[in-house]
Amino acid sequence: MGTRIAAFGENDIMLIFKAVGIDVFPVTADIEETSEAGKKLKQLVREGYGIIFMTETIAIKLDQLIKEYADEILPSIVVIPGLGERNYYAVRNLRRAIIKAVGADIMAEERNRSK
Amino acid sequence: MLVNVNATRMELLRLKKRLNLAWRGHKLLKDKRDELMRQLLEVIDEVKELRLSIEKEFQSIVERFVLEKASIGSYQVEQELLLPVKKISVSISKRNIIGVHVPVYAKEVSGDIIPYGYMNTSGEMDIALNDFDKSIENLLDLAEKEKAVQLMAMEIEETRRRVNVLEYKLIPSIIETIRFITMKLDEIERSNTVRLMKVKDIVRSH
Repeated sequence: MGTRIAAFGENDIMLIFKAVGIDVFPVTADIEETSEAGKKLKQLVREGYGIIFMTETIAIKLDQLIKEYADEILPSIVVIPGLGERNYYAVRNLRRAIIKAVGADIMAEERNRSK
Repeated sequence: MLVNVNATRMELLRLKKRLNLAWRGHKLLKDKRDELMRQLLEVIDEVKELRLSIEKEFQSIVERFVLEKASIGSYQVEQELLLPVKKISVSISKRNIIGVHVPVYAKEVSGDIIPYGYMNTSGEMDIALNDFDKSIENLLDLAEKEKAVQLMAMEIEETRRRVNVLEYKLIPSIIETIRFITMKLDEIERSNTVRLMKVKDIVRSH
């Protein structure tokens, strides 16, 4: 089963994804456009994009939606660092999943190091 | 807590069967949970390292790219990258880790990453794109592994809950009910014996 790859985020970063032939969908991280971005994401999933790259700044706003897709085999949403300040969304997300599974925070020491 | 049933021999037999089944299920689910946990711990370190190294790498690439874009002009860059030559196609298959379906990506990469002539762009741009070219496979790898971790974590949580429900709720309540029924049946038997003795006494005294 073939799948398509999409990238989703700020315009500046999207260009680099375009260079490797990935379909890009620039959005801005403005608050008013959050619902717009959410709709877009849903649409992408419906259209059958199996892998979606997304920048941190957008991801943190669409947290709810990303959680919905977390227990499904498709799509795989990969959060990448964007420009500007880091918010470590992906690392936090990973930690959350592990805390849920193991019942303890086994990544704590790792996070301190990355800070 | 008592299960609400009639205190009969039939019910007792049925409950004993259920208890056996519950034990068996409990043991199996526990095994499943332990194995899943082992698998998760195996990948988790890998994912952690991959994620951190990719974030570092990617950020430096993006920074370089954006700076370069600023110096060349965004319109120009957009034009240069308008028709990408490189194509990545991914086909997805599933792998089964003890009941958890995890995606496996098969990548097919073709074409060169630089679609433009070197006329209007700078070397920095080429470096950024070439670096990105190298890390894109890692990114896809990360996509696959992170998804696997997420799916496994969910499954572990669910299994853990099931194990706990069986262990702390269902099995104790069945055991309690079985004891209740056994005592009730014993009591009925005793009272029956006593009644018979009483009747015999009355008969004898005549």
